[in-house]
Amino acid sequence: MLAPVLVGVSILCFLLIRVLPGDPILSIVPETATAEDIERTRARYGLDRPILTQYADYMLGVLQGDFGDSIQTNRSVAEQIAERLPRTLELIVLGFLLALVLAVVLGLYSATRAGKPGDHIARILALTGNSLPEFWLGLVFILVFFAALGWAPAPTGRIATGIDIRTITGFLTVDAILTGNGRAFVSAVYHLWLPVLTLGIVVLAPLMRSVRASALEVMRSDSYHCAQAHGLTPSRLLFGYLVRETMVRVPVLAALVLGNLIGGSVLVEFVFSWQGFGQWALRGLLLRDYPVIQAYVLVTASFYVVAFLVADVVQAALDPRIRIH
Amino acid sequence: MITLARTTGLARASNAWHRRKPRSEISKPLIATGTSILALVFLAAVFAPLLSAWGPEDIDFAAFLVAPGPGHIMGTDGNGMDIWSRILHAGRIDLGVALSAVALAVCVGSLIGGLVGYIGGWVDEITMRLTDIVQAFPAFILALTVSAMFGSGLINLTLAIGFIFAPAYIRIMRGEIRALRERTFIEAAECSGNTRLQILYRHLFPNALTPLLVIAPLNCGWAMLTLAGLSFLGLGVPVPGAEWGAMISAGAADVVGGRWWTSIYPGVSLFISVLAFNLIGEGFLERSEAM
Amino acid sequence: MNGASAIEVDDLSIGLRTRGGGAVAALSGVSFDVRPGEIVGLVGESGGGKSMIARAIAAMLPSGAEVSGRIALGDVDLLALSEKQIRFHRGTDAALCFQNPRSALSPTRRVGQQLMDRLVRWQGMEQDEAQAAALALFQEVGIRDPRRRLRAFPHELSGGMCQRVMIALALACRPKILLADEPTTGLDATLTRDILSLFRKAAQQHQCGVLLISHDVAAIAEVCDRILVLYAGIFVEAGTAEEILDSPQHPYTKALRDAVPDLDRRASVPVGGTMPRLEKPPDACPFADRCTIADAECRKALPPWTERQANHFVRCIRPDTDWVALADVGHAPERSAPGAATRTILDLEDIEVVYKSRFGRGGQLALRGVSLSLSPGETLGIVGESGCGKSTLARVIMGLISPTRGRAMLNGTDITRMSRPNLRTLRKNLQMVFQDPVGSLNPRMTVERNIADPLKMLNLSAVEMDRRIDDVLHDVGLGSAFRDLYPRRLSGGQAQRVALARALSVDPKLIVFDEPTSALDVTVQAQILDLLRRLMAKGDRAYVFVSHDLATVRNLCSRVAVLYLGRIVESGPAEAIFDNPLHPYTRALLESAPSLTRATRAESVVLARDLDEASPAEGCPLLPRCPFAQGECSEPQSLRRGNNTHEVACWKVGS
Repeated sequence: MLAPVLVGVSILCFLLIRVLPGDPILSIVPETATAEDIERTRARYGLDRPILTQYADYMLGVLQGDFGDSIQTNRSVAEQIAERLPRTLELIVLGFLLALVLAVVLGLYSATRAGKPGDHIARILALTGNSLPEFWLGLVFILVFFAALGWAPAPTGRIATGIDIRTITGFLTVDAILTGNGRAFVSAVYHLWLPVLTLGIVVLAPLMRSVRASALEVMRSDSYHCAQAHGLTPSRLLFGYLVRETMVRVPVLAALVLGNLIGGSVLVEFVFSWQGFGQWALRGLLLRDYPVIQAYVLVTASFYVVAFLVADVVQAALDPRIRIH
Repeated sequence: MITLARTTGLARASNAWHRRKPRSEISKPLIATGTSILALVFLAAVFAPLLSAWGPEDIDFAAFLVAPGPGHIMGTDGNGMDIWSRILHAGRIDLGVALSAVALAVCVGSLIGGLVGYIGGWVDEITMRLTDIVQAFPAFILALTVSAMFGSGLINLTLAIGFIFAPAYIRIMRGEIRALRERTFIEAAECSGNTRLQILYRHLFPNALTPLLVIAPLNCGWAMLTLAGLSFLGLGVPVPGAEWGAMISAGAADVVGGRWWTSIYPGVSLFISVLAFNLIGEGFLERSEAM
Repeated sequence: MNGASAIEVDDLSIGLRTRGGGAVAALSGVSFDVRPGEIVGLVGESGGGKSMIARAIAAMLPSGAEVSGRIALGDVDLLALSEKQIRFHRGTDAALCFQNPRSALSPTRRVGQQLMDRLVRWQGMEQDEAQAAALALFQEVGIRDPRRRLRAFPHELSGGMCQRVMIALALACRPKILLADEPTTGLDATLTRDILSLFRKAAQQHQCGVLLISHDVAAIAEVCDRILVLYAGIFVEAGTAEEILDSPQHPYTKALRDAVPDLDRRASVPVGGTMPRLEKPPDACPFADRCTIADAECRKALPPWTERQANHFVRCIRPDTDWVALADVGHAPERSAPGAATRTILDLEDIEVVYKSRFGRGGQLALRGVSLSLSPGETLGIVGESGCGKSTLARVIMGLISPTRGRAMLNGTDITRMSRPNLRTLRKNLQMVFQDPVGSLNPRMTVERNIADPLKMLNLSAVEMDRRIDDVLHDVGLGSAFRDLYPRRLSGGQAQRVALARALSVDPKLIVFDEPTSALDVTVQAQILDLLRRLMAKGDRAYVFVSHDLATVRNLCSRVAVLYLGRIVESGPAEAIFDNPLHPYTRALLESAPSLTRATRAESVVLARDLDEASPAEGCPLLPRCPFAQGECSEPQSLRRGNNTHEVACWKVGS
């Protein structure tokens, strides 16, 4: 399932961007360039060859880890991915985990107090969070927590200028721990918490709704009633009968949310000047930098597909009725 | 020994022994609140020209970036345009695009999903792979390229956003049809001499549409956010068009300097509209679960 | 208060709120007790309040219920307990066995673990102690290979095994009283017998009281010590099982008994109407409207609870009046034997159906070598237990499934591999009534549109169609008022009548019934069966009646085919087969059918092992379980003549 979808995505992408108006070469050649100069530059990037050949060359390259060179900067795209992707991933993974943990706790809390004020409040809060445009929320947070309260740094990047840190994985927090760099760790977290919170709040609602709905379904099921009717203790009911069965239904939605996050995070990156993967691709898109766009689409789609694969595995692990063949 | 049963009336039990209180009905207030808010937004958008003193792109050369006050209830932005007027007119665009895009997605998605779900076989396989591909594609790139291909403009943006949401409906409809296919009344319909087409539109579709309609309001909210997001990045409605996301983007730089009205007001409008849709959607979900 | 009772219910009344805000008096002042080691049967129709009693004792009433009265367990009044105290009561005092055992077991938790949860909770065991105890309990309830089954998940177990697990779970709580809600609904006859005997064992060994709740008095009669009859929320009769069955006093009890078709010839006699849902406790006899001997006295005041014989109570002022004469129907109504000139409507030749296995490793043989024929005016009964392939056979007849081998002929036309459009034109001669009444109707269509659906094939004018719908509704006993209702408003019995109306509307030559009454209450079953009997007596159509209930088949069908694991093992005229069964499987089947008259049968045939354990062999499908099996049985067995009356697939008894 993995391969055909990715191949399909890459083909679609290839075709779509070449149909876009706008010529990538024109933006990099000097004003004085002659027609021959332009042709030569075009040939250098292989854009004069027939589309099929271009595609074949590109995919062959990708299989060997070569994503081509950016037309704008002439740097290796693979290199730029390695630089940019971890920045976005760090943000997304933390935001997602925050949302997931909150969703499970709040969802279970809500379900066990269904119909009571606590439940209603939790649900409306989650709904409210889901209605907020994340770019706007980010701005509001900056306004409140930076401009007014000073609890967060200026939205200029991931870490305070002047702090040195050795890059191993590209994840600042992880690298800081690995190199024992306390100052860097603190600074990284200080810069991270606001954007992570922004992402988490926006994404919390669908996850919480799923957990709550799932938990309610379980609590109304015959099997839960049976366990209750046999007088099992509340903690045994919760951990043995409620949680696991509730979680069974969650992975698929979680995968959908996570998969969409990598594409959707570009807005938050923008607001916080994160210089992440999405922003990079956006500029590439505006300048019709084909290799950049292609790489972005391919990586994003892979992430999406992998998220679902992982969800399938997790679900099969949780639900004994499903067995993967 | 069975004792004599005395017939007494039903005494109103005073103890609350193992009596769980009935769950309060929350779906009605949700839908009601959501609908009222949405109605207000809708009316404001429809009557925008009547309610605003300025046109959406009129420039007041005497007032650049002034705070809310007399003359400009919500202040003006860096270009001298009245924010209140722009917000009202932007409502037309945001609401219009969101509703049309979702309507398009529902129609196209349910048709394709229904057909494919019923026919099954390789048609189903291929359609699902194509749907996977479209869903795996990053939404912004997809929207942008689709709209750019046909020239920018509201119609194309609507088509693009509709295109983004269609796969979900295809999936849901297909799932519903596949589940319904196995039900007894479909077997009975076949015994009643229905052609496959008749089974599809008389028996399957009417029963399968409900889940789609239940999530449609939620999708309207997301569609609006997607449009706003696109405009925020400069990919949607072009400046100086009045659109909430574009206004927030224009006002973003002002925030750091403490000038909040250029981005807060459009944000609040966007938030309220999406919230209205979300409330209705949550109410629908609650309703359908209760059944 | 009798100190020896396990539980004593005193003047219990329960009121419920319906969704629309109305009130229902589910129970009005019932009193009874159950002693340790005693099995008490609680019978009545759905909605009569029987489930409410169990739920009240287990403290699992639905929200909004109002309770009054007293439920005493020893010295403690359960109704006076607080929320917290109830947690120490559920399970250890009263343990519920749920109606649908598979759905009552948590799907993501191993059954052994679920059992140990209860052992740890109520018997205070440690993990390894609990493990050993769990093993012992599984053995006690008759689960084979208990060690392996402990680690199983519920979806891996068969229905019967789930029910055994359910009982084990309840027993692990060491309850003073075991509450079993419809424990045998949907189970085959042999399994029903086993499960009921488990309750007997449990009552004796664990000295707990058992309350068996069922709508089918015949099913539970054999194992109960006492029976209580519930109607519209009050007891109408109570006594020992023998007394209730042999000499019932209350008209309703008589009606219940008569509603069940008995294997020994007596047909079912339906009682019209439905049980009322009262809004407040009754102030007159609630059965009066359906009772043939009711008079003004009965409607003035609620009859008193009188003791007619020792410990036999009735709530009726004229229990001695002869209520209903048992209609000795004998065999199914005589029909003219089909002359040679009449063409057979249905002909199946050597039908084989294979279900491809999901993983491509061969398939499952659902039907093998099935041959049948049917003429107009005949009713063919197809009997067998679950999994024998009778539903598949019904669908092959209907053309919904194509056989992998063999031929099916309808009225002389070969429909085996016919194209869809061609098959469609034949559908007006071939209709089916399904097992799930409400599910077989389109939920978004009114009754009228549902019935009109097949009428499209006939190209009638609007007026004609309208009349046809009215006629056919009338034929099934429903009025025109039902036309605008939606299926969700119909009861099971009403929905099945609508389904029947739909089938009749095109006047087909053949109607196939797939277990049409198994999902319905006994009283409703009786009504539907009565309707069917009248239809069949008209003698112009052929009917196929698929069922696992032998008594019903005997009373309706002129011919019978017995199906086991996809093969016909015996077939012939109904009387011949029921009076003188030849094949060992047929004999075992008849043996285990519940009968109200506790006549002993000579020479019982006992089959070894449960159905789901035995794998179908090449030769005779009964080989792994037959007590008479010998070498020749591994050869494929074909139907051969046995005593000139019917055909048997067994070399031992066939000639």
